[in-house]
Amino acid sequence: MPVEELRSSYRLMREPRIRRILRIQAALGGAIREYLNGQGFTELLPPIIGPVTDPGIRGAKQVTIDFYGREYKVMSSAILYKQMMAASLGRVYFFSPNVRLEPLETASTGRHLVEFVQVDVEEAGATYEDAMRRAEDLVAHVSDFAKTHLGAELAAGGRTLNGAAPPFPRLTYDEALDLLETHGREVSYGVEIPWDHEEFLSALFREPFFIKDYPRGSRGFYDREDPDRPGVLRDFDLIYPEGYGEAISGAEREHEYGKVIARLRETGENPSKYGWYLEMLREGIPPSSGFGIGVERLTRYVCGLQAVWEARPYPKVAGVVSP
Amino acid sequence: MSEPLAKLFMKVASVRSAAAAGRTFLESYPVDEIIQKAKHGKDALYPFSDLDEYGRALLGADISLRQATRFNTLDQLVLLPPVFTPKRLEKMTELRREPLYGDVSLEATVGGFRSKLPITMASMGSTEVAHGASDHLGKGAAEAGIPMGLGENIATVWGYAKRTKPTMPTFKQRLSSYLDALDGSHGGVVIQQSVEDAFDELWNKVYTDPDVEPFVRKGLVAFEVKLGQGAKPGLGGETKVSREMARSLKGKYYFPEDPDAVERDLYERHSAPGTYTEEILRAQLRSLRNNFPRVRIWVKSGPFRDLLALFRVASQERIDAVLVDGKEGGTGMSPVIALKDLGLPTLACLKRIQDARVEGHKTPYVLSGRLFDGGHIVKSLALGATAVSFGRPFIVAAGVAGAKGVHNFLEATEVEIRMLASSLGKYALADLSLEDVGSLDRHLADALNIPFVYA
Repeated sequence: MPVEELRSSYRLMREPRIRRILRIQAALGGAIREYLNGQGFTELLPPIIGPVTDPGIRGAKQVTIDFYGREYKVMSSAILYKQMMAASLGRVYFFSPNVRLEPLETASTGRHLVEFVQVDVEEAGATYEDAMRRAEDLVAHVSDFAKTHLGAELAAGGRTLNGAAPPFPRLTYDEALDLLETHGREVSYGVEIPWDHEEFLSALFREPFFIKDYPRGSRGFYDREDPDRPGVLRDFDLIYPEGYGEAISGAEREHEYGKVIARLRETGENPSKYGWYLEMLREGIPPSSGFGIGVERLTRYVCGLQAVWEARPYPKVAGVVSP
Repeated sequence: MSEPLAKLFMKVASVRSAAAAGRTFLESYPVDEIIQKAKHGKDALYPFSDLDEYGRALLGADISLRQATRFNTLDQLVLLPPVFTPKRLEKMTELRREPLYGDVSLEATVGGFRSKLPITMASMGSTEVAHGASDHLGKGAAEAGIPMGLGENIATVWGYAKRTKPTMPTFKQRLSSYLDALDGSHGGVVIQQSVEDAFDELWNKVYTDPDVEPFVRKGLVAFEVKLGQGAKPGLGGETKVSREMARSLKGKYYFPEDPDAVERDLYERHSAPGTYTEEILRAQLRSLRNNFPRVRIWVKSGPFRDLLALFRVASQERIDAVLVDGKEGGTGMSPVIALKDLGLPTLACLKRIQDARVEGHKTPYVLSGRLFDGGHIVKSLALGATAVSFGRPFIVAAGVAGAKGVHNFLEATEVEIRMLASSLGKYALADLSLEDVGSLDRHLADALNIPFVYA
């Protein structure tokens, strides 16, 4: 990893290649908005801090700030607020800045940033099948947009984007593990698919695909357990092809108070920490589904970049002190 | 009684009760034996007093009972050396000479760590007695090449990297005094996180700490899910803290007396035991593996009646080690009624471990709870444990001579294990088995499926 380049990223930002990537990124953001607004979604201003944030982040640490003598967290994801606002406006999204102090090992994965933006989408009354359809439509729309309007810019970077025509293939978690096993890669059942295996899987495909139905314990407490299949979650990841890995994480939400209390214990925490959120659930919110799509990872895929930090102004990588 | 007199009376009574408590510990715990080992190492193994000397003294087994016990302990078991020792022949063939006790291999693999002895240093928590000696304890354990536990609430009470009290080390200093003294191939640290530590995401802090990273990479770090403790199964952590500390911890722990409203020197601080079902535990263990793929996962259990059900979950989830703490286990603070009435005695826990072996579970089991000598270790291993964990012996030993005391105590214990195992004709720990143990009590013999020695 080019630590020196990151430390002087103000110079990096002026390179023609990076300028081109950032212009493409801005255009992709426009395409995302165009699609979601067209589907009746309301864009909201994202939350930055709050008494609690998403605990379901693999190995990363949250950022704590002092809020008039109380500890507040910087959003590691806005998941809890998405549910709050879907209960209000139905179809919502925001461009949400997230901070996760990732373990040092992620500095060289090419796909982790400490500070990044995801488009967080949530839809009241939707099932996870609805959310998967929404996710593939969104990716297809953005991909078509890029091919139609950004062809020349992409070609300048040597990138030809494959088509992405829904419906995308849907593998279950079990099928993904089986597929990995036929290639001599064993993943122990019950954990999220490790990055290197996911990258390998991704490289087997020419178009985006889903992995769905993760086992309980491998994801956050808010991914709903299937009432008919205990131990299986109604959730999914959308994976980019060609080795670019995870694009989207999404799920139907566990919104029943009693179930959430039990699931929260999976984090080893005292549920009292989630005060307002649990009160909200106890009073009742509608079921919803949604997903988050990382803007930098999308840019990396569309532009065909080596590492995700190339798709980000002022990139922050685990352990590297940079602007 | 006038008020000052009443105060004086209460004060004297409280000092007397403190002295009585100290006396009870001295009488009921083999403090002198551990002090001798901590001072003299293996020289403490021969019971010569200052008046005796070799060649003059006439010695034999002490057949008296020091204390009448309410329940059976490992001291009701004896080891049964045989005349015929095929494994000794094997060892002699390998060595081309008669084997001696020094030839017993004590290398053990415990919960993913290599250890020079089948012993771990028990997780001690935030109480001052453990925390104040933690530098010596950590160095002693590391130099001996054995794994060490770091108990709950240390970071929450004493700070992760920034001291909450100028004279007391932080969590990280306690961690470093162990990790920095390791030889690189033996040992490993097992870190607990209470419900309250989870509030501050202790494990995430450790996992993302650049200073800890090299040790994580070498596989020398484990996270331990604590389901309970021997001295108070079903109850959470309890201790007393100063007013200043009580105020700073108020939001995270339960204080029966509000430190902002009531003025006292010390405040009782309670933490929650944590709520589990099989599903919650299973999911928690999976999310630990998922979130922290490069650390080992241990589970510490108290002496619960459903231990076997726990062992089944641990086995299915391929947990690196389960530590079981019997009701005689040490504690910084527990209600007397809990010590008296809650939980399975250590020997009963060992029986559950034996049952788990019969069911075919291969999980490494570490047993603790008033275990303090080589005999306890050899008996535990013969009945199915993978290793044992000591707590109080190390605190006494460190109190006598710091890290050197820990070293001496372990040296003495090591020789005890070697002597006992070799007497059984066994030179590898894995060879110790049921045949090596007999019972002085018929019911116990039946329960453990071992010979009643008088039959």
